[in-house]
Amino acid sequence: MTTTAPADDITGEMVEPVVIKRRPGRMLFGLGVGIAVLLVGLAIPYVLTDTYRMSLVLDATILSMLALGIGFLARHLGMISLGHGAFFGVSAYAVGVGITNWGWSPLTAVGFGILVGSATALLMGVLVVRASGFGFLMLTLALSQALYQLSVQISARPWTGAHDGKLIAYEPDMTFLGLTQADLINPGLYWPFAWSALVISGIVLWMVGRSKFGTTLEGIRENEERMRFSGYNTFLPRLVAFVLSGAVASLGGALFALNAGYISPQILGFTQAGDSLIAALIGGFGIILGPVLGTFLFVYAQANFNFGGNLHLLTGIALIVVLVFMPGGITGALQKLSRRIRGKERR
Amino acid sequence: MNAAQVLNGLALGSLLMVLSSGLAMIYGLRGVANFAHGALYMSGAYIAYSVSDRMSFGAAIVIVPLALAVIGVVLELCFFRPLQHRSHIELGLITFGLALIVERVVILVWGEKTLRVVPPEFLQGTSTVFGVEYPSYRLAIIVIALALAAGLILWLRLSTVGLHIRAASQDIETASIMGINVDKVSLIVVSLGSALAGLAGTLAAPYIALDPGMGNAFLITVLIVVVVGGIGSIAGAMIAGMGLGLIQTLSTVWSPSFAVLVPYLALTIVLLWRPTGLAGKRIS
Amino acid sequence: MKRQLIAAAATLALATTAACGAASTNSGSDGGDTIKIALIPPTSGALAQFGTDAVNAWKTAARLANDNGGIDGKKVELIIKGTDADPATTLREAREAATKDGAQFIGAVMTSPEHAALNAQLEGLNVLSFNGLGKDDALVGEQCSKNAFHVVQTSSMDITGLASSISELAGDKWAIMAVDYATGHSAAKKFKAAAEAEGKEVVLEQFAPLNTTDFGSYITKIKDSGADAVFAVEYGADGVAFVQQADQFNLDKQLKTVLGFNMVSEPLFKTLGNSIAGYYNNVGYDVDGDNALNKEFVAAYTEDHGSAPYYVPADNFLSAETLFAGIEKAGSTDPAKVADALQDLSFDSIVGNVTLRGADNSLMRDSYLGEVVKAGNGLKFKILTNSSPDVTTPEPDSACKK
Repeated sequence: MTTTAPADDITGEMVEPVVIKRRPGRMLFGLGVGIAVLLVGLAIPYVLTDTYRMSLVLDATILSMLALGIGFLARHLGMISLGHGAFFGVSAYAVGVGITNWGWSPLTAVGFGILVGSATALLMGVLVVRASGFGFLMLTLALSQALYQLSVQISARPWTGAHDGKLIAYEPDMTFLGLTQADLINPGLYWPFAWSALVISGIVLWMVGRSKFGTTLEGIRENEERMRFSGYNTFLPRLVAFVLSGAVASLGGALFALNAGYISPQILGFTQAGDSLIAALIGGFGIILGPVLGTFLFVYAQANFNFGGNLHLLTGIALIVVLVFMPGGITGALQKLSRRIRGKERR
Repeated sequence: MNAAQVLNGLALGSLLMVLSSGLAMIYGLRGVANFAHGALYMSGAYIAYSVSDRMSFGAAIVIVPLALAVIGVVLELCFFRPLQHRSHIELGLITFGLALIVERVVILVWGEKTLRVVPPEFLQGTSTVFGVEYPSYRLAIIVIALALAAGLILWLRLSTVGLHIRAASQDIETASIMGINVDKVSLIVVSLGSALAGLAGTLAAPYIALDPGMGNAFLITVLIVVVVGGIGSIAGAMIAGMGLGLIQTLSTVWSPSFAVLVPYLALTIVLLWRPTGLAGKRIS
Repeated sequence: MKRQLIAAAATLALATTAACGAASTNSGSDGGDTIKIALIPPTSGALAQFGTDAVNAWKTAARLANDNGGIDGKKVELIIKGTDADPATTLREAREAATKDGAQFIGAVMTSPEHAALNAQLEGLNVLSFNGLGKDDALVGEQCSKNAFHVVQTSSMDITGLASSISELAGDKWAIMAVDYATGHSAAKKFKAAAEAEGKEVVLEQFAPLNTTDFGSYITKIKDSGADAVFAVEYGADGVAFVQQADQFNLDKQLKTVLGFNMVSEPLFKTLGNSIAGYYNNVGYDVDGDNALNKEFVAAYTEDHGSAPYYVPADNFLSAETLFAGIEKAGSTDPAKVADALQDLSFDSIVGNVTLRGADNSLMRDSYLGEVVKAGNGLKFKILTNSSPDVTTPEPDSACKK
């Protein structure tokens, strides 16, 4: 465990200094749990035979990768990003361009998408990681919105379809790891890929967070100046963390593109950025599962409570309630509850 | 670039100036980026529509800022003051949630249709100025905004309350130790900032059509203006607002596609070159 | 330790919750006893008003059909959903309608991007879509689908109809002000070609990004260009802003003609006010059309919803008529059979006798040019010319391979 003190606010800043205890067996145990979760999850389509519900679960899983990236950055670096939607979206468009404009196979296109998304994260990271707090938020917002504006320019039409979005045009014989075009939109058949991607990304991020690198990140989060004076390079670790979180978001975007078959410019827009941040926040940044939970709740709410467009009224209220009363998000609140029940409150 | 295009730029800049001055005040004092500012502006515009429909546009100019000031008081008493020990980012995100709620409520009350407000009789049509025929209403906006800006700066510089505001914006702890009633100052600033947003909305109503997306459209631009102008500097925000309005309008003449990118480019360049903004005195 | 267990527990909890709905099965679309039509109009944003009116038309159509014993003996049932006009949302709703609600037909989808995304999925979902609102040419071109039926006029039909009337409009130097959107560009291109063919000069061509609120710089440019006529393609809020600001700039003073394309329409008359009297615009539907079916429709719609119909409800009612004609000919509600029955089918409708061209699934009907005139204390359209389909759309687009 890298923190045993209760996390006080949404970024998990510690309330009191703690001794870091890292037990080597823990990583392996966590890996084992992760693999078990992966295998169990693969069975879900056999349990959930309703196509509509399955497609909701699939949508949530893919979107969760975006939230994972946001959560990782917030948890370990204390930085809130409104720009990760850009990596998700750019990757999706890149997949679209690869297949439609250049006739590549879906697998190559996915690889290309992840590459382009990560490269975008690298470029953006170089510009933003030195900033902190509000400056970081504004820069990520501004840069991602600039990307959005670029994507809807009429000159970008052959690549992104501008305001009309991009319909992915497959050649008749294209397959992705054994799935044909019709299979790709079938949630039950596409599920293993999305689920594996989510669980593996989650495991990787979790392991990185608990490694020595993760400790460095948390040191930077606590006091960047002190880390620098102690001889650590603070720029590079932050950049690596940013690109890593961006890569996870890109993976999500690439998988999204194949499943949806259509990319709307709104994917890069302000509303999407806000929604994914809110979902991650409500879930809670404290554990890797928090943003995933938040995203599932969001997708569920979107499907069931969006009568007459009132979804954002609900997310606004939920956001305020969570921020005011449950700063650690839902998982944070559950953690506090479990700590209280087990009587291990350390105040 | 002829005079009419410059006037176009000044008109847009004036609107941005009024809107950003309110945001800059709140940001300077409370350190909170008020993401609800766009929603406040939108509410102002819609309330102005109803008031000028029932009474007159002149009545709207008086009533709307007062109504928004009341909303500002609620904002301060219910959110900013009780939660002032929280981090600035959290408060900002709370205002983000408030924005979502307010925007939805406005739509529920006024509907989704695009609405139009007609300016008062004597401001309809065009006047001839600098040798061009230019809409009188836009000229009025420019005049009002400049007068407001001058008045605001003078008030901040010369009055006691203004002094307290500037002191508290610079360092809220020391100001309170020095005996300034920080709570009272804060209340004045937040309600004044909201009133300014409402005024901007009222002025904008006959200028641009009222539609449910108007809050979001301006929010990002205004946030950028405030950050570019300098954190804690109201004059900086106003100058940045006017400047951005001019640059963006004049670029539209040359290349509309480029013009939409202007605010983002400005922000990126300024933040990388001078992280405290052009006129900022505090570290963010 | 706690963390991993919480993680595992939460995952299992998630899986169980997701599995809770496992009881329901896929509803297939069979040739059952009810005609189930899913309506997916926009329910938020500036288009919401049009969405409501579209649904109202379907409601009237359903009521009239059910009052007469149904279509082919089967009752009409409407499943009303909603979208925010983002194609991703619409697709989700369509999938839900097809799999969970058992709908066989889809209507009231509004924008062309939604239709494009939807068309690609129709065969997979085994539903038919009736397009009464999305005018983009590509929908009967490379984005066509054998399950999609295009009832509204395409932009190309409207523009060609307008273009053939250019000679009747005053003005020799035209300025084009269009939205930077698919339809804006294709409309501008076609108009320019037609105008120049008539010997007119196009002195200015401008495109404003979608959601432009301040048209000042564009209007100033039009004033400076010396144009004496304007062709404007601006939708919704953009259109209102443009008209309002053009009024403030006194632009009309120097213009002989303002020709709008999909800009001025009946729902906006009140908002735009009397300043638009004298504007021309393409009109999709003539409410005074002199045939029995139309008179019945106008009376029924006015009775149900309190005001006379305009092109949006009319085109959706026409979509319903098209669907019903197909079902009657097929004698079944099975989508594949109805789709076949509709090929080259001619039937009587509120806009006269029309034919559904099988090559591109496009309905052959007239396009109109109208002028806004004062009527009582409001405004209405006076129809000036109408162009028939053999003028506006003589050949189907060869890019349509369905």
